[in-house]
Amino acid sequence: MKQLQNKVTELFENGTINLMIGFKNALNNQAVPCFIENASEAGQLIYTPDCKNNLSVYLHKAEVKQAKKIGIFGNIATLRALVQLTSENQFWDIEKTVLTVNDKDEVIVFANMEEVEAYVQANFPEFTEEEKKLLEQLEAMTREERWKFWTDQFSACIKCYACRAVCPMCYCPQCTVECNQPQWIKTSSETTGNLEWHTMRAMHLAGRCINCGECGRVCPAGIPVHLLTVKMNQDLFKEFGTKSGFSTKGDYALNTFKAEDKEGFIK
Amino acid sequence: MSEFEPKIVAFVCNWCTYAGADLAGTSRTKYASNVRIVRFPCTGRIDFMLLMKAFENGADGIIVSGCHPNDCHYTSGNFHARRRWITFRSLLDFIGFDTDRITFSWVSAAEGKKWAELVNEVTDKIKAKGPFTDLGNLDYSQLKQQYDEAITK
Repeated sequence: MKQLQNKVTELFENGTINLMIGFKNALNNQAVPCFIENASEAGQLIYTPDCKNNLSVYLHKAEVKQAKKIGIFGNIATLRALVQLTSENQFWDIEKTVLTVNDKDEVIVFANMEEVEAYVQANFPEFTEEEKKLLEQLEAMTREERWKFWTDQFSACIKCYACRAVCPMCYCPQCTVECNQPQWIKTSSETTGNLEWHTMRAMHLAGRCINCGECGRVCPAGIPVHLLTVKMNQDLFKEFGTKSGFSTKGDYALNTFKAEDKEGFIK
Repeated sequence: MSEFEPKIVAFVCNWCTYAGADLAGTSRTKYASNVRIVRFPCTGRIDFMLLMKAFENGADGIIVSGCHPNDCHYTSGNFHARRRWITFRSLLDFIGFDTDRITFSWVSAAEGKKWAELVNEVTDKIKAKGPFTDLGNLDYSQLKQQYDEAITK
């Protein structure tokens, strides 16, 4: 902890960063994201296994980008998101310094994205046992049961779009749900609109989702929305062998093709 | 009561399947009149949201069709489309959507006969399945329950 705080103080003092995005303790002793603006505040920074939020989402905000030189603390989900976002060419206008704490409690300051990429590949987060179990349960159901399951879940959706707000991959300045001439997806909570929103979200994130599970954690209605994108990641790996957030030069699975792609349903 | 006549929307590419359907017409091939054709510049332009919208607006079945692989007018549009369909179809299947209602096909400009057979086949399949009502039969009990709980707190 002290090592991290000292390192950040040092980075502020030698002018490498103007803003640090990390974690601090909130009143209820919960780790929450925080913004450190000068060296004197660096003492607030913590790192515990509870630091789960994906901080890379803040790098899209104009008010954060203003700082130009930004330090960001990366848990593995954040690092994976940074790799994916780099492959999507999203960081051309800021200088960022990436820090992490490895499993030996050593602070690492990455010199460039290639080092981040190497670190992510060495510690690549595979699907968790819980995710695998849930997916297997769902896959074991009949189609009708799955339809019942998901429509029940989607019926609780209130279209707050928290899943979109928390997602580092959802950075379009204007989302399809804001297109209202014509209104593509109804803003009220209703059957087809809810289904369309969740399918659209899953499709737009297919092969780009970095599997941090933030969308499922943040959902106020408790819908396991992350399962959709986790499933898409699994399928795309099976079909095309692509892994999102694995390489800074990675191709987006749906942006490319191979003549020998196989499918069994086109007549 | 008259027999159920399904509404089938066909999303086809301008260069192959549309021309194939045209050939079926000019060669006076008879096929089911249930199909409504929507012409696109390329299968690569067929967004999955358009399919969702067709179902929302009352389609019972959908045909998506374009040039055979390696025959795309724009070289690679159908290859991109194929990846998108593989992804979309597996997502729909995971959600439990009836994927049998969407038929994907490659029909070239010379395959007027294949087009007519495809339309007949899909029409028969959808007739056997009956009208698409999945989107109209959703259960809002969970939302209602949450609402009731929230206002009684």
